[in-house]
Amino acid sequence: MPRSRAKAAPKTTEEDEPKIRADALTPTLDLARQIYEQLDHGEIPRMRLPLRTKQNLAFQAREGVWKLGRQMGTRSARKLDGALMLLRTFYLVDFINEMARDKKTSTLRELYYISEAWQEAKFHSEDESNLLIEDLEVLCERLREDFRLHPEENGASVIGDLTLKERNRKGIVKTINCRDDVGDGGYSLPFNVEKEKIQLVKTSAKFVIAIECGGMVDRLAENGFDEQYDAILIHLKGQPARSTRRFLRRVTEELKLPVVVFTDGDPWSFRIYASVAYGAIKTAHISSYLATPAAEFLGVTASDIENYDLPSDHLSDQDVRALQAELTDPRFGTPEWRAEIELMLKNGKKAEQQSLAKYGLNYVTEHYLPEKLTEMGVL
Amino acid sequence: MAPPPTIAQQLASKQREISVAEFFERNRQILGFDNPQRSLLTTVKEAADNGLDACEEAGILPEILVEIAKEGDDRVRVAVTDNGPGILRKEIPNVFARLLYGSRFHSNRQARGQQGIGISAAVLYANLTTARPAKITSKVEEEEAAHVLELFIDTQKNQPRVATEDVVLWDRPHGTRIELVLKARYIRGRQSPYEYLRGTAIVNPHARIVLVEPDGTRVTFERATEERPPIAKETLPHPYGLELGELGYHLKATKKPTCTEFLTKDLQGVSSRAAKEVLAAAGLKASTAPGSVQGEDQERLLTALRAASLVAPSAEGLSPIGAMLIKRGLKNVLGDVRPDFFAPPVSRPPKVRGGYPFMVEVGLVYGGGLPADQPVQILRFANRVPLLFQQGACAITNAISNLDWRRYGLDQKGGSGLPAGPALILVHVASTKIPFTSEAKEAIAEDPEVDRELTLALQVAARHLRTHLSRRNRRDLASEKFAIILKILPKLAEKTSGLVGKPPPDLTPVITRIMDVVNIESGVTSAADGVHVPVDITNYTPRARVLELFVELPPEALGGATFAPAPDGTDPHLGRAWWTLPKLTPSGKTHLELTFPPKTDVESNDLDWYVAGIDEAHLLGADPLPGDWDVRLPRTIVEAAEAAAAEGAANGGGEEEVDYDAAESGESSAEDD
Repeated sequence: MPRSRAKAAPKTTEEDEPKIRADALTPTLDLARQIYEQLDHGEIPRMRLPLRTKQNLAFQAREGVWKLGRQMGTRSARKLDGALMLLRTFYLVDFINEMARDKKTSTLRELYYISEAWQEAKFHSEDESNLLIEDLEVLCERLREDFRLHPEENGASVIGDLTLKERNRKGIVKTINCRDDVGDGGYSLPFNVEKEKIQLVKTSAKFVIAIECGGMVDRLAENGFDEQYDAILIHLKGQPARSTRRFLRRVTEELKLPVVVFTDGDPWSFRIYASVAYGAIKTAHISSYLATPAAEFLGVTASDIENYDLPSDHLSDQDVRALQAELTDPRFGTPEWRAEIELMLKNGKKAEQQSLAKYGLNYVTEHYLPEKLTEMGVL
Repeated sequence: MAPPPTIAQQLASKQREISVAEFFERNRQILGFDNPQRSLLTTVKEAADNGLDACEEAGILPEILVEIAKEGDDRVRVAVTDNGPGILRKEIPNVFARLLYGSRFHSNRQARGQQGIGISAAVLYANLTTARPAKITSKVEEEEAAHVLELFIDTQKNQPRVATEDVVLWDRPHGTRIELVLKARYIRGRQSPYEYLRGTAIVNPHARIVLVEPDGTRVTFERATEERPPIAKETLPHPYGLELGELGYHLKATKKPTCTEFLTKDLQGVSSRAAKEVLAAAGLKASTAPGSVQGEDQERLLTALRAASLVAPSAEGLSPIGAMLIKRGLKNVLGDVRPDFFAPPVSRPPKVRGGYPFMVEVGLVYGGGLPADQPVQILRFANRVPLLFQQGACAITNAISNLDWRRYGLDQKGGSGLPAGPALILVHVASTKIPFTSEAKEAIAEDPEVDRELTLALQVAARHLRTHLSRRNRRDLASEKFAIILKILPKLAEKTSGLVGKPPPDLTPVITRIMDVVNIESGVTSAADGVHVPVDITNYTPRARVLELFVELPPEALGGATFAPAPDGTDPHLGRAWWTLPKLTPSGKTHLELTFPPKTDVESNDLDWYVAGIDEAHLLGADPLPGDWDVRLPRTIVEAAEAAAAEGAANGGGEEEVDYDAAESGESSAEDD
């Protein structure tokens, strides 16, 4: 399914009504018909969905990403939780159809509040509504944007010599260079980074560096790293949003640029890299659309902490549990990752990216990154 | 009639040459004065018990006021006031200021204290630690005024010494107050006066007990019932419990002229025929004067008595709390905990151990505000006195620990040891002679007969708990299903039919598939014309059902009940009635109603519903008919049950599918968008 999605996505042209694919409603109504028929036949209503669990990730060698495996679960009205989720599904379907009629869109957060009117079917948290939307994506083989649902703008920023065209709110196409036409904050990514919205025009850059923390993005920008080394800096803002991951994917695919991921040296940063490169568990159904298998992990690695003698903290109990969980995560099943995780567990230390400032503000751009990038063969 | 001297008496007589102060020092631990905390508890306990005993003997509903105040760093003033009959002036000094003096010392019936050491020991302790006298105020109904005496114990002679004396007007018709200043420390919590009085209140729901704590807090254990527990009768000694020395003492002390008369009238359980056989076996003449039976004859007589088959010791000397009062007492004192469940209290029939009758009672409470993650609370009582110390060494605790509570729904590591869970277990052992582990009377000793009774009583209570928990689980499951079929399913049908543009489907088949139970719903409503118990039986299963419904209720309640429709049969002795219900199609319903005369004391819990013709898994609000009822069921019911069982077996083993909404979600929350 996600494969067909990847093909379907670029199909839209600039003439289409932005974002909305015309056939998005059909599969939602098919779902309603399926449940209606079960009820009409006296069967307990149920749906089958692939499990979105760590255990149900399967590697797609051809695409180099982790996608959903074949394990299925059943959502049945036999149990209260299942019955509630089924009912919610059709409140959601109803809402989506209503929005299509009225030509409206809604943010995920708005949907959460909309559900206040759904009585017992209302969502108890935004996690719950987000999960249900993902379920619907899986069941209907569509993206949430097809359902007119989108996240709030979160503006992950891009800095570097990249020229793109963006169709703005008023429908006017602007040509923007992400180094010369923007302020210090860089170019802010909208939630929709598809072709109908953004077109990548040209770049002089040799590679992309995706960075976990804003402070490090600023450091690299202030030190002129992007110009000196012909790099595009992309701020991941912690766990990257779908739009950030999709943009990374498009930049590498369309501009044929290598990507390195530069994060803190801790278990959570490993997961940031995994979701960029291999696909996230929750969105494994659209990994082929979001993941960037070519992305490489730059650091901070467990051995960097030792080799560069970085200021570090002890791993907390939570950190240790996270690392141990990663040892059973198929995405970290390679010998390299196992060694990295085990080394971190053995040393019991973690460090922030910005701990490199121990050797001065220029150290990261003059020594650490050139050394690591050379080692990786990017420079 | 005075039985032989007990160990304590013998001890005291030996020590008469030395001072009672020294005796006290040597026995501080046994007497309960080994530390300041415990000394206070012992003092409160002895004074409160005296008050309760005095009220009980006089047939008065007890009111006990315990006031505790700080008096300097390590001193406490304790005043305990009761509304008992009061004590005559001439008796006051001996009752309070002389060790081993008391009227209950020689009786063969169940009583709280038996040694006559208690309260005087507290007075002695106060005298020794603060050099302050005990101040006693007492008034009997016949006199206008109360006597107030300040007493010391002469530690050389074990004699009371009256320091001051006065006569005052007292604003109560009768009663006694003892006030002591002693070296002590007040605490709350385990092994505290509070806990002791709370326990006392539970097993004495006819008493009103007030505690005023040093900080001014006033705790009132309100009277829960006006009904007084029956007073234990004094009974004659039974030969099976006699020791040789005691027999000798009785032979010497009796006024009966012949051995036959002595055996049949001064002892319990010996018929004339048995007396004849016993005397023959002992080689004694019937006409022999009891006083002349000496030495080896005494031994032969005892051996013959023990070998004879005698009437079992009478339980009349026992004073059980009774099932009703255990329930009232627990409800009263645990009111603020709001337990979900009070198991019907268990009162085992009296049994005999040695020559002494005993009986075991158990109460069990579950849920509400009781802590769920801790060992169960155990309230131990011996002859209606709370036992607060030596819990680990007590036969009661061991009996609880040796039961596999996992079978009854409580957590228990490895199936032995104290179970954990939101439960409280009350155990009362009543006997004319409690087998304590030591003279300190803190724990009950292991004894096979007592242990067996404890285990049986606990098992009965535990089974009630298990039934409650399994009913609760099924109720929870059912309320989940009702929520699905009543709230969610109709909306799901409405939404999906609206989306596909078709009329809403008939949900009956789905509802019966989801529920798959026959629901028996009954309630009790009280009205002017009677107490009504409407019963609705609904077949929420996908197949037609032919069922037999049974109700069991207290036989006295069944007598006054009317039924609509009339039952197919009743058993007035066992309190049972039954109906063959009309055939119920899926979603089919039927209704019946019981009516009791106005103000009948019937609760939902008093009515137990049973159904034949269906298995437990498909029943809600009733249990399957117990196998031991030995009921001949109509053939239609038997056949229906067999057909249903066969179908159930054929349909069994449906494929297990992973519940999508219960599947582990991975560490995905960190990978949010």
